[in-house]
Amino acid sequence: MDPIRSSYEADPDMLEIVCDFARELPARVAKLEALLAARAFAELQTLAHQLKGAGGGYGFTPITDVAAQLEQALKSGAPEPAIKDCTERLCETLRAVVVPEQP
Amino acid sequence: MNPQVPNPNRVLVIDDSDSIHKLVIARLRPEGLEVIGEFDGERGIERAVADQPDVILLDIGLPNVDGFEVCRRLKEHPSTRNIPIIFLTGTADTESKVRGLDLGAVDYVTKPFDQVELRARVRAALRTKRLQDILEQQSFLDGLTGLWNRSYLDRRLESELNVARRYGRPLTLVLADVDHFKRVNDSLGHLFGDIVLQGIAEGLRAYARRSDIVARYGGEEFAILLTDTNLRSAVHVSERLRMSAEGRHFEARSEIVGVTASFGVACSEEIGPTLTPEELIRAADQALYASKDAGRNCVHVYRNGELLLTTGDPGVLGN
Repeated sequence: MDPIRSSYEADPDMLEIVCDFARELPARVAKLEALLAARAFAELQTLAHQLKGAGGGYGFTPITDVAAQLEQALKSGAPEPAIKDCTERLCETLRAVVVPEQP
Repeated sequence: MNPQVPNPNRVLVIDDSDSIHKLVIARLRPEGLEVIGEFDGERGIERAVADQPDVILLDIGLPNVDGFEVCRRLKEHPSTRNIPIIFLTGTADTESKVRGLDLGAVDYVTKPFDQVELRARVRAALRTKRLQDILEQQSFLDGLTGLWNRSYLDRRLESELNVARRYGRPLTLVLADVDHFKRVNDSLGHLFGDIVLQGIAEGLRAYARRSDIVARYGGEEFAILLTDTNLRSAVHVSERLRMSAEGRHFEARSEIVGVTASFGVACSEEIGPTLTPEELIRAADQALYASKDAGRNCVHVYRNGELLLTTGDPGVLGN
């Protein structure tokens, strides 16, 4: 997967919080994987919902898109393999995010 | 206290995600807005009551109490009812939007939000809020004199009396009535009467203290509420107010007309712990009538069921 960069990297109001957000993503990946393994689908849906809402706001539109797919799959009671697939895709997306360099 | 300019604009964010808090702060701070936040519904409501924000950005999916319920409660609570609520949520279905707006929210923005749009919507909500505040304040002002009106004074009297009782502080009410106002009105006309009332009001406002609440109570009657003030201090203030009226002269046609006012003072301490607003008003009114009976242009106080003249005899209250 290609590296994903925030579209707000050049915005001085945003740089610091974009960095914070990007640095916290590995922890979110771990959480997504743990929730999937535990089949804690309600919590998984909450986390997907939050990532959908925040991702685009930080300039990471792909996070919003993929998280929305996971949320939708969980909401509609999709079969487990589909949920697993969506979760893995979201984790992969989060891992592709590049932490911007701060001056 | 005179009508005041509203506080600098403050936005309360109620959202369970820290990422959203940070994002809203980064996006709204350049607008010169103060952003405060809470992470769950219950605390959000408490914060709204305590800090009186100008706009609330409210998420729907919150732990414990959801955003719809928070909105319903905020719209029910008298002190938060007028604060505009904008739903800021990842839930984008029409049903939720309609439900949120029907609960009294002014707007609905979906996440991820466009920063330019969010700012514009917050600005729009603030504009409406400001007009609403002005309207509300206008409804508590007396049109002729610019003082607070009776309905404001009645509200304040009730709430200040609660404060006074709770903290054991004295609260004093002064009633003032322009002497022979009917005669002035009848001989020199209502327009002149209006000018007199405006002049007296100006004097009361100028000579009252900053913390005093000066109101036009009716026709030619004024009321001044003195918080945290005992009878003796209130007598000093009342004497000053009486002299402010006495010292004023009005020009009517070719003559100079002097007007005086009579005063009645009653303090919560002199009446007892179960004091009601009506009792305090009645006591001050009795004192005012005593001033009228004593020849006008003087101050009487109500103390232990007695009515005492204090003008020219400040020692009557003892040392």
